[in-house]
Amino acid sequence: MGQVVSTSGRLTLEEVRAAIAFDQPKLHAASDGSDIRVTGRYLLMEKGAVANPDGPISEFDIEIVLSPRYPDREPKVFEIGGRIARNPDRHVNSDGDCCVTVWEHWLASTQDHSFGSFLNGPLHQFFLGQYWFEKTGKWPFGEYAHGDNGLWEAYAEVLGIPNKKKDVLYRLRLLSQDWPKGHWLCPCGSGRRLRRCHRSDLIALHEKIPPHLARRMLSRLKDAAT
Amino acid sequence: MTVHKKIARTHDDVLEEIAQALDIPPSKFQEAKERYEALGGWLDRPESTLARYDPVITPQGSILLGTVTRPLTATEEYDVDLVCLLKASKTDFTQKSLKEAVGVEVREYARVHNMEKKPEERRRCWTVHYADGAQFHMDVVPALPDAQKYQLILEQRGYRNLAGDPSLTGQAIAITDNTEPLYDRLTDDWPQSNPLGYAAWFRSRMAMQLTEQKRAVAGRRLITASVDDIPDHEVRTPLQRAIQLLKRHRDCMFADDGEHKPISIIITTLATHAYNNESTISAALQSILTTMDRYIEWRGAEAWIANPVNPAENFADKWAEEPRKRENFFRWLKRARVDFALYLRASSFDQIPDVLRENLGTDLVDRILKTAIPAVAAPAVVRAGSNANDVQRAEAAIDEIRRAGTQSKPWAKS
Repeated sequence: MGQVVSTSGRLTLEEVRAAIAFDQPKLHAASDGSDIRVTGRYLLMEKGAVANPDGPISEFDIEIVLSPRYPDREPKVFEIGGRIARNPDRHVNSDGDCCVTVWEHWLASTQDHSFGSFLNGPLHQFFLGQYWFEKTGKWPFGEYAHGDNGLWEAYAEVLGIPNKKKDVLYRLRLLSQDWPKGHWLCPCGSGRRLRRCHRSDLIALHEKIPPHLARRMLSRLKDAAT
Repeated sequence: MTVHKKIARTHDDVLEEIAQALDIPPSKFQEAKERYEALGGWLDRPESTLARYDPVITPQGSILLGTVTRPLTATEEYDVDLVCLLKASKTDFTQKSLKEAVGVEVREYARVHNMEKKPEERRRCWTVHYADGAQFHMDVVPALPDAQKYQLILEQRGYRNLAGDPSLTGQAIAITDNTEPLYDRLTDDWPQSNPLGYAAWFRSRMAMQLTEQKRAVAGRRLITASVDDIPDHEVRTPLQRAIQLLKRHRDCMFADDGEHKPISIIITTLATHAYNNESTISAALQSILTTMDRYIEWRGAEAWIANPVNPAENFADKWAEEPRKRENFFRWLKRARVDFALYLRASSFDQIPDVLRENLGTDLVDRILKTAIPAVAAPAVVRAGSNANDVQRAEAAIDEIRRAGTQSKPWAKS
């Protein structure tokens, strides 16, 4: 199904409304002049199903705050029904902000960054996970470590390497260049120049993690370290 | 079409039952068919003043598309739209003389058959009224073949592919309109129409499901029947069902404002564009309601809903002079999206939300639920095991995501 995407590159109220219009009829979107707020009841359904004879699996009262600069700006998601305890073990901060996922991990893992894709991807999996945790005490897709460690873990995962800080940083520095420099040492540790070693692998990774995203990841790690 | 009552177990079963109840009953369809064939026979009888032009009556509009919806009240009638095509040319008739020539025979038919109400002349057609019990009237549009000119105009406007496609433009016609300035002049400049081309386009957009539905009907028949043996009017695709439901929703929503309600050709055209041969009514409704407005072209401030077999014709041409029509279309779409979504997405199959119930007709919906869901009187029994079932569903949903390999894990900033 096609997506409504603004041509200006800024998220529009129209795009958000189009994404929820049918799939989430109990959510409402409005603009407060700067942000777009989506509030109401999120219906947890099987992904891809139009309807289920028994109705939704569950429902959560939520608010999503979206910057017009989405997806550059990560959406903030709040569970406002008091159903989920506000503590890190439930992946909810004390202000009710849900840590849906590590945003850059999702940006690097998918090509479709539309709001509809977020709704049917990480948001769906987050609330499916919350429901499953309520029933079983387990996170169905695993979870990242709390705090900075979780960032390193997610970034290493998206780079496809073991979680070693030095390696993560070196790769992100390489990727943050508009074009990875061929005379730099290959990150594989062979001691050879990149142009004579894993150049093609790095170019493939460059497609997935473009320079602006790599710089953003580096900056976030730097902020975490200070 | 085959009518068979069954116990509904899904949203689609319920929607199918409602749409089936909205459809023209097979016996009524047969009766209408016999009547218009009889009228066609009368026009072509040896003594007919039109006999030398080999007049042929063919259905057009919703009766041809299979998207008829029953009238909102018992006092209203089904519209049966027909074309009366004469093998003649625009040098033989003026619009007026053609209209009158057909009128003479139609009036004579009504007189000979002791029809209580005389046929009425309207802008483009003759309306033939049957006795009250028939519950339908026929709008007969006098017409002449005009494919050549139709194709020439298309070609001049740059629609070369369309002009060269005989299935879409080879049966275009010239029609009469008594408000036209050249109505009583011998001229080549007549209003044009292309109902059979539109029907061919409509059919092509649902071809895959049409074959599927016919295959299913053929499979249910005791004697071996091939798909080709099943006529189109005996089956309904999810697209046709979805359109019937949407038109009904429109009729109920605008019960008090019939003049400005969204017109059927706009709903049908946009829905057909948005349809992607989905195999269920629910999936068809999801596609249609989510994307149908994207097929409205905006030429500046003007909305353009092109006739797919004549892109120079704008089905929304009235919106500019009557903004209320445009507002009503978008108001209806917004309401329809929410009403159907609240049922499909937010409710169990046996609980139709009040908003949708009202906009499909409370009496009709209640009657369907009562017959299609015998357990509806005891929903608590149905719901008893729902919690365990929800957990099973969640587990299946999780497995599905794991299989797809697109998992995202939660985190905690601190």
